[in-house]
Amino acid sequence: MNKKRWIILNTIIIFSFFAVFLRLIDLMILNHKLLSAKAKQQHIKAEDIQARRGAIFDRQGRELALNLELESLYCEPEVINRDDKNIKKLASAMGKEPEVIFTKIPASGKFAWVERKLEPSVAERIRELNIKGIGFMNEAKRIYPKGRLASHILGFVGVDNQALEGIELQYDRYLKARGGKIFFGRDAGGRTLSPGIDKEVKGNNIVLTIDEGLQGIVEKEIEKAMLKWKASAASVIMMDPFTGEILALANRPSHNPNDAGNYRDFEKKNRSITDLYEPGSTFKIVVGVAALEEKITGPDTLYDVSQGGIEVGGKIIRDVHKHGVLTFKEVIQKSSNVGSIMIGMKLGKEKIYKYARLLGVGEKTRIDLPGEVSGWIHPPERWSATSIGAITIGQEVAVTPLQILRAYSAIANGGFLVRPHVVSEIISSEGQMLFSFADKEKNRVISQKTAKTFRQILKGVVWEGGTGGSASVKGNEVAGKTGTAQIIDPITKRYSKQKYVSSFVGFVPADNPRFALIVVVYEPKGQIYGGVVAAPVFRDIADKSLSYLDIPREDNPYETLLVVSR
Amino acid sequence: MIRISRSGNIMSLMLKPLCIVLLLFAQFGLVWLKSNVTTLEYNISNLEKKKAECLKERKILFAEKAGLQSFESIESSLSGDYGFVFPDRVKVIHVKRQKGSLPYKASLERRQVGGP
Repeated sequence: MNKKRWIILNTIIIFSFFAVFLRLIDLMILNHKLLSAKAKQQHIKAEDIQARRGAIFDRQGRELALNLELESLYCEPEVINRDDKNIKKLASAMGKEPEVIFTKIPASGKFAWVERKLEPSVAERIRELNIKGIGFMNEAKRIYPKGRLASHILGFVGVDNQALEGIELQYDRYLKARGGKIFFGRDAGGRTLSPGIDKEVKGNNIVLTIDEGLQGIVEKEIEKAMLKWKASAASVIMMDPFTGEILALANRPSHNPNDAGNYRDFEKKNRSITDLYEPGSTFKIVVGVAALEEKITGPDTLYDVSQGGIEVGGKIIRDVHKHGVLTFKEVIQKSSNVGSIMIGMKLGKEKIYKYARLLGVGEKTRIDLPGEVSGWIHPPERWSATSIGAITIGQEVAVTPLQILRAYSAIANGGFLVRPHVVSEIISSEGQMLFSFADKEKNRVISQKTAKTFRQILKGVVWEGGTGGSASVKGNEVAGKTGTAQIIDPITKRYSKQKYVSSFVGFVPADNPRFALIVVVYEPKGQIYGGVVAAPVFRDIADKSLSYLDIPREDNPYETLLVVSR
Repeated sequence: MIRISRSGNIMSLMLKPLCIVLLLFAQFGLVWLKSNVTTLEYNISNLEKKKAECLKERKILFAEKAGLQSFESIESSLSGDYGFVFPDRVKVIHVKRQKGSLPYKASLERRQVGGP
């Protein structure tokens, strides 16, 4: 090789290396920040950690609220071709009109939702269309597999899984999970490298005190009652009188939480705790208990109610049927207004008020559901001349069905005012128990003796001659009380002669109660009395529930065992 | 005077290329290891995708199962198609397996409720 060539070659090599060196300076020093950011953007992918709400179970571990992974369809308005053909294809795959799809795709912008949480089959159909400018994103959809069952307890969530009602709202901070971001590598082909971290975080699970079986029985019977009596509304609550655990709670009208947006507000209302009504004769428990506690009366004290009416503050209050001379037991059994008012007058307004408050009237039960109202009973200084007569028979006082049930539970459990609740446990997503309901307060409100005596009296209501005979259950004794109350007409501001609230509240088996139950039927048509409208609903629910809970009949002290051996 | 044997010379001569070869092997080994790790990461990533799909499917099946096992669904199918009714508690027979008895025998017993 001659020298000249050698020099040229060397010069080229040196310049080439110099060029590479310069390029390296450019890449590694001058444009380092920009290029490394670009590389990071290309190689590192950030994704949201999917935050999923915890599940809700009944007391036996049966699923009441779960999450499904569904795909949501989005579009990139700047990329998508808005021609008719594409949109028509998309609309037909989604089963919608093309105009509806057009309205969802804006003319400009980088992102717009077309449809959230598609059915898997619809998503598949759309994917097959291969339309440019549309994409899918995984989202969790809250589902309630039992439909309407326990809808007023469970509540519901919005389209972004934000809690809106019921347990979902009350326990939102436990159910929801916090997401965050996850970073992982990907290559030029878009293939991702495993980050080795779970891309999903779950909230805590909640176990309710509700039993799906009992809830199902209650839902079925309340539906039947609504149809039979063409009522405007109805509520039923079943509670363990010793622990305050709500075993079932149903209202009508109701809604399907899977589709809550399509229902009106009054259908989503948990009227068991949000609506007030005048309790009527079921309130006679207050006067009865107060009279026994204050030793103003005994079970066999006689009251002459033969006049059929009594004057209170210039107003005559009458019995539905005329009676002769009744014992205190019979006053309750036959639900005599006159007898009750006579006892109430003996007690005086302060004592009636004191025992009403002791039994929880006018205060929230502190149930762990949103929207509870406290109800009201005026303090004695605000009572009118007729108030003592009206309040004694359950007028001029406003309660929720749950408050009345709680008061009767105090009779059932020997004198304690329990705290109703629907959540028994909160369990972490790993299965560790975080919280368990424990109400340490033992709030005795009446003596055991009074509770026992009044329990015997309430049994009489269901016996022959009592107002609640149709609540009796074959094989087990029921203790309870009927109630029929007029509703105030919002136009005339007077008691309506057509609109009533019929109720029955009690517990069974009377001497060793397994559950306390209240049935309230609003504005029944054809019949108005609690003993006719609500008591049979109580009977049907109680009978099936006793069978479901496998509680033996008291009139059949033997159970048959089929003993099988291998 | 230090005497270096001939065999020592050969060793020192072979040591250098051996080191170079070893270094090269180590280099290739590292690259091979790194590429294997990456392949494994791709595989894991694919498996994770499959797992996510399966979990998605599982959630759907769970929801379906819960719906099918609902009180309403069971009651409507049993009472409608098969005429099942809520049992009268007198007619309920409790089935109990007895341990340590002869095989394949069954007997009806009446037991006092709450008794021993």
